[in-house]
Amino acid sequence: MGYLNNTIVTVDAILTKKGRELLAQGAGAFNITQFALSDDEIDYTLYNPTHPSGSAYYGEAIENMPLLEAFPDETQIMKYKLTTATRGTYILPFIASVAGNYKIVQANSQTITPTTSRGGSLGNVAETYSFTLSDVRLYSTINIVGGPTDQPSTVNVAQEIAASLGTNVSRTYVGTGITVTATSTNVLFGNSTSINSLLIIQGNTSGTRLQVPITISKSA
Amino acid sequence: MSFLPLNPGTDFIVNSEAITATLWSGTVPTLATYFTSSTQEASSAGNYYLNVYQTASSETTAEVQFAIAYANKQGSGSALYNGAVGGNSFTKTLYGQYRTLVLGDENADFNFGGVTQSDFYVLSIDRTRYKEKLFPGTFNLQLSGSGRTLELTDDSKDIASVNFNDAGRVFQIVSGSNGNAYEGNGYTDTSGSYGLFLPDIGTIILNAAALDLSAANGGIGLNTTRVSNGSTGVNNTRFFAHISGAASFSLNSEETISSNFAFIKVPNSEMNYSENPSFISSSTGEILYLDEGFNFNPRTYATTVGLYNPNNELLAVAKLSRPIPKDFTKELAIRIKLDF
Repeated sequence: MGYLNNTIVTVDAILTKKGRELLAQGAGAFNITQFALSDDEIDYTLYNPTHPSGSAYYGEAIENMPLLEAFPDETQIMKYKLTTATRGTYILPFIASVAGNYKIVQANSQTITPTTSRGGSLGNVAETYSFTLSDVRLYSTINIVGGPTDQPSTVNVAQEIAASLGTNVSRTYVGTGITVTATSTNVLFGNSTSINSLLIIQGNTSGTRLQVPITISKSA
Repeated sequence: MSFLPLNPGTDFIVNSEAITATLWSGTVPTLATYFTSSTQEASSAGNYYLNVYQTASSETTAEVQFAIAYANKQGSGSALYNGAVGGNSFTKTLYGQYRTLVLGDENADFNFGGVTQSDFYVLSIDRTRYKEKLFPGTFNLQLSGSGRTLELTDDSKDIASVNFNDAGRVFQIVSGSNGNAYEGNGYTDTSGSYGLFLPDIGTIILNAAALDLSAANGGIGLNTTRVSNGSTGVNNTRFFAHISGAASFSLNSEETISSNFAFIKVPNSEMNYSENPSFISSSTGEILYLDEGFNFNPRTYATTVGLYNPNNELLAVAKLSRPIPKDFTKELAIRIKLDF
């Protein structure tokens, strides 16, 4: 006699805003081809490898924690992906050469060219990045360097804005660098003098991720 | 490397599942209280049908459960549209409507278990109640009559093969319960079956002639009015009294829900490290707990599964109910239900 295998976990998925947008477009736009796992919400400092009760208890503070429901905003979930590395790796790659935040005045440009460092003398990881702009409407031009051949290096921003229908405004582009020019129109500012947005940079090979605030300031 | 591919041939499956449920508001198995609305009855729609609610129509929780209508081939049983123009009436319109819907032939007549009849009652179940279709074998309707209570059901469990007409599956309505006739075929001796059960269009057609029979002959003495250019709505009200008098109507809905599943499989050697800022030192990228050998025996805790398109855009996301540990000695298998 034995127990049935209960290691298969069943969970319900929800669509993200981007998923909803692509599902509505139809014609094969919604096409799931790959997956990733993340450990959002986990604080590894709670892991206790010196637990007096032994190794079975090292993770007790993590394993019993309740988890939050999924957020439909694709920029607020899957932040920290699980990644694959050779066993014994003691330094994981991290994104470097990027400022902690960017402030761009209307009609001015900003170029961001990240690198992925392995720390110390180990050098960099050569990889492309997924650049996710949280609101494409804030830019008048977007240029991508080192992207795939089927992705134009100069984005047709007007077309992207029209396709967003004012609601699904985040856009992801793949490349080794990105240059954006802040919009010169005042429509989105209202009474404010600045608009805050986000740029999420994700290493496509390493999986490392960085979230950078971008503030667009109204010109005087 | 953070992304693993999904094989469209083996990692996705579509599963269809039939869901049955009670029909009535509040998920009660038997509708025992019946109300009509004087406002609806007095409206132009009241010339055709009478809505039946589970509670007083003035209550905020009142919902239409079904509608009663009477149809007559000659147009009898209601006023004419125009008294100066003979022929067309509300009941005749209804007869033509259901003849087109159910028989699909303007020259055909309704036949109840081998007997042709020219009028009938219709119970049209509210679409919200039956969702996709009615569930044969669960139909149990009691009608009060002088000297007896008639119990009606469909004959879905007595027949060897299902018949079809222009409205999909069709079952005879017989004297019985839970899809079985009490005796023989469950028909009346002289007027055929008690009607037609049409699960695919949420409609029950009841043979007026059979219900008009006396209790001794299998009916309830309904006494349907067939006066030409008579009062409108009389038969609906009369039939309603026999339903509410017995106060027992049970029926289930049936719905097929298709679900997509994606199967996520993570080999033991994959995804044992994390980009979580608490997993590494932010300044050097070094893994925590190196002194305890965490670089050789790392342990991660998966909390979320993300499904992506080829452009690395996150399309769907699933949260686990608790963190699942992953290390070089464990493989993960997660089934994701995609009901969009």
